[in-house]
Amino acid sequence: MDYLIHILVLVCIFAVLTVSLDLLAGHMGSLSIAHAAFYGLGAYTSALIVTRIGAPFVIGVAAGTVVAAAISFIVSLPSLRLHDDYFVIATFGFQMILVSIFNNWMHVTRGPLGIPGIPQPVIFGWHISSHADFLILAFVFAAFAYFVVYRLTSSPFGRVLHAIREDEVFAQALGKNTLRFKVTAFAVSAALAAMAGSLYAHYITYIDPTSFTVMESILVISMVIIGGAGSTWGPLVGAVVLVTLPEALRFVGLPSNVAANLRQIFYGALLVVMMMFRPRGLAGRYSFGR
Amino acid sequence: MQFVVNGLVTGAAYALVALSFSVVFRVGRFFNFTHAAVFTWAGYFGYLCWTILGLSLWAGALLSVCLSAVLGVLLELSVYMPLHRRRASGVVLLLVSLGLYTIMQNTISMLFGDEIKRLSGNTVAEGLSVWGARATRIQLAIVIICVVVFVAFGILLRLSPFGTRLRAVADDPDLAAIQGVQVHRFRLAASALGSGLAAVVSLLMGLDVGITPTVGLNALMMGVVAVIAGGVDSTPGIFLGGILLGLAQHLGVWKIGTQWQDAIAFAVLILFLVLRPQGFFGKPLRKAAV
Amino acid sequence: MNAFRCQKLSKSFDGVHAIDGVTLEFPASGITAIIGPNGAGKTTLLNVLTGFLRPKAGRCFLGERETTHLPPHRIARLGVARTFQDLRLIGQVSVLDNVLVARPHQRGERLLPALLRFGVADEEACNRDEAMRWLRFVGLEKKAEDLAGEMSYGQQKLLTLAVCLATEARVLLLDEPVAGVHPEMVSRILCLLRELKKQGKAIVFIEHDMAAVRQVAESVIVMDEGKVIAQGQPAEVLERPEIMEAYVG
Repeated sequence: MDYLIHILVLVCIFAVLTVSLDLLAGHMGSLSIAHAAFYGLGAYTSALIVTRIGAPFVIGVAAGTVVAAAISFIVSLPSLRLHDDYFVIATFGFQMILVSIFNNWMHVTRGPLGIPGIPQPVIFGWHISSHADFLILAFVFAAFAYFVVYRLTSSPFGRVLHAIREDEVFAQALGKNTLRFKVTAFAVSAALAAMAGSLYAHYITYIDPTSFTVMESILVISMVIIGGAGSTWGPLVGAVVLVTLPEALRFVGLPSNVAANLRQIFYGALLVVMMMFRPRGLAGRYSFGR
Repeated sequence: MQFVVNGLVTGAAYALVALSFSVVFRVGRFFNFTHAAVFTWAGYFGYLCWTILGLSLWAGALLSVCLSAVLGVLLELSVYMPLHRRRASGVVLLLVSLGLYTIMQNTISMLFGDEIKRLSGNTVAEGLSVWGARATRIQLAIVIICVVVFVAFGILLRLSPFGTRLRAVADDPDLAAIQGVQVHRFRLAASALGSGLAAVVSLLMGLDVGITPTVGLNALMMGVVAVIAGGVDSTPGIFLGGILLGLAQHLGVWKIGTQWQDAIAFAVLILFLVLRPQGFFGKPLRKAAV
Repeated sequence: MNAFRCQKLSKSFDGVHAIDGVTLEFPASGITAIIGPNGAGKTTLLNVLTGFLRPKAGRCFLGERETTHLPPHRIARLGVARTFQDLRLIGQVSVLDNVLVARPHQRGERLLPALLRFGVADEEACNRDEAMRWLRFVGLEKKAEDLAGEMSYGQQKLLTLAVCLATEARVLLLDEPVAGVHPEMVSRILCLLRELKKQGKAIVFIEHDMAAVRQVAESVIVMDEGKVIAQGQPAEVLERPEIMEAYVG
C-alpha cells in the first residue's frame, strides 16, 4: 500500500513540474531544458535553509520559489529577446551549469554526497510523516500548480501567451510588450518547479545532484509532449503515464542500474515516436511546434 | 604559463567541437542534441577499437572516425530526412533529437557503465616542455590538428562549392533547392563531415582525459558557447570563440578554482547573449522579423 | 497636425537600399495610398514606421513625439495599428479571441489580476462588447466563435481590420487591404475605409489595385527604388506618364 501511495506522491510532484513547464512549452511555445535546474534550485534552497538555519518548511518552500523566480531572470532576460533557438541554448547552458554547481560547491551543497537528514515538513503543527499525509500535501501542491496555470492560461494574460506562441509579431503589432509576458511566464514556471523541488526534498529527506540533471529535464519535457502540450489535461496525463508505466520494469527483476537506463531509453523512444507520429500528444489539441 | 598552455589546449578542443556543431546546426537548422550522442559514441568506438580489439593508434582512430560519420549519416537518413521532407519545425526536430540523445546515452551507460574509461596507453601521455610549461603529446596534437582543420575548412569554404552551398542551405533550403543544390544529399554530406569532425575531437579529448557517457553533452555545451561567442557563420569567429573560452576557463581556474569552469562558460554565454548575440564576427541574428 | 512624419529615412539590407532618404508627412485624417512596383520599399517603410525594423538613418515622428527608436509595442500603444501582407492572425483560436487580444490596457493581462480575478470579469465583458461591436462593423459577428484560420481569405482580411480597430488606434497602416480578394469583398472593404475616415481615423494603405486607389484615396504617394518619386492627388498623379512608366517598367 505504501508503495502505491509513494507512486501517487511522485505523480503529484511530477504533475507540478509538467503543468508548470506546459505554461512555457505548450501555451507560450518556448521550450525550456532547464526545468530540472529550477526543480533542483527549489530543493537545495529549501533543504539548506531548513537544515542549516532550522527554518520551518513553509519558509523553505517560499525561499525556494523566490530564489528560482529571481534567478530565472538571468536566463530569460537576455535570451527571450532573441530567436527561440537562443532560449533553448541558454536554458541548456543554465541546466548544465546549475548541476555543476550542485556537484562542486562542496561546502554548501556537499557535492555528490548530497544533503541528508532533511526534516519532514511541519505545517502549523501538522507533522507530515506518513505516506498518506504526504499524498495529501503533494496533492495540494499539484492542485495549486494546476490552479495557477489554469487561471493564467484562461485569462487575458493567457490569451496574449497564445498569441505569442502563434505569432509574436502579431502580438507586438497590437501593443503587447511580449518580453514582459515571456519573462513573467518563465518566472512563474520556475517558481512552481522550485515548489515541486522543495516538496521532493522534504519527502525523500535526502537530495543529491543526480535528481536534477538534464535527463530529468528531458523526462519532464517528454511527459508534457506525450500527454499533449498546451491542453488542459495533457500534462497531467503525461505525468501519470510516464511515472507509472516504467514501474512495471521494477517487477521484471532487472538490476537497478540497468533498469534506470532502460527506463530512460523508454522515455526517449516514446518521445521520438510521439513526435514522429502524433505530435499533439495523447490528450492534446495543438500539434506542438508546427 | 601552465594556465595559458592548458587554456590553449582546451580552447583548441572547444573550437573543433564548435566547428563540427556549427556545420550540423547550420545545415539542419535546428539545435541537434544527437550531435552530442555521436560525440560520445565516437569516444566509445575508440575504446572498442583500441582497448578491446587492440588495434593500433592510427587504424583505431580511422575506423572510429568512419564509424561515427556513418552513424551521423544513418541518423540523418533514417530520422531527420523524413522530418525535413515533412517540413517539421525546428522544435519538432529538436525534441526528436532530445529523445534520440536519451536513448543513445543510456545505451552507452548500459553497455559500458558510467565510470570513466581511459583510452590512452603510455605512449601518448609522455610529457613535453613547451615555453616552460608541461604538455603531453596528445595535447600538442590537439592544438596542431585544430589549426590544420580550421585552415583546411577555411580553404574548403572559399575554394569549393561546399561553402556557397552551405551558406545557401543555411539561409533557405527551399531557395537552395531552386538554385540547384541537392539539399538532401548535401545534408548527408554535411552530417558525415560534422560527425567525423566531432569524432576526431572526441578521440583526442578521450586520449587526453578519458571518456564517460556524458562527455558529449559537456562538449556540446562548450561548443555551443564558443559558437555563440564567435558567431555561427564565421569560421575565424568560432576559432577565436573556442580559444578564448578555453583561456577564460583556465585563467578563471587559476584565480578561483577548478569547480567554476562550467560557471565561467555560462557567464560567457550570458554575456554574449546580452551584449553581442551575433558573436564577434557573425551576421546579426535577431528575432525573426516581419 | 500630422499622423506620421519622417525625415530622410533610410534602411538597407546587405548594402541594398530598400528605402533611401524618404521624407514624408501623412495627414492626421483622411486616406493616403502608397503605390509603386514590387521592391519599391513600401512595406519596408511601413515596417520602419511601426518599429519592426530599425532605420539606418533618419527620424520618425508621430505628432510631436519622436518614435525612431521605440520598439513596436510602444509605437502601437501610441495609437498606431497595422496589418500585414501575409495576414497575421492566430489561426488556432476563435475569431472573437483574435479581436479580444487586441483590446488595449487590459488589467487581466497582468499577473496578479489574472490570478486573482479582481474586476477582470467586468473588464472582460466590456471588452467582449467592444470586440463584438467591431466584428459587427466588418460584418463578421456571426463568425465570432469560428476558428480564425478556417475562414476564407477575404474574411480573414476583414478580421485583420477588426483587430486593428479594436486597438482603438487613431492611425491605421494597412498593407494591401484588398489584394487577392473577391471583387464584391473589395468594394465592401473600401466602403469600410470610407466609413472609418468619417470617424476621424488616419488611414495609410499600400495597394497595387489602381481602381481601389482611385476610389478611396485622397492623396497618393508613389515610390520607386526606395525613393518617393511623386506625391499628390490621385486624379493628377496617376495621369502622369512617367509614373505609369515606372510601374510598367
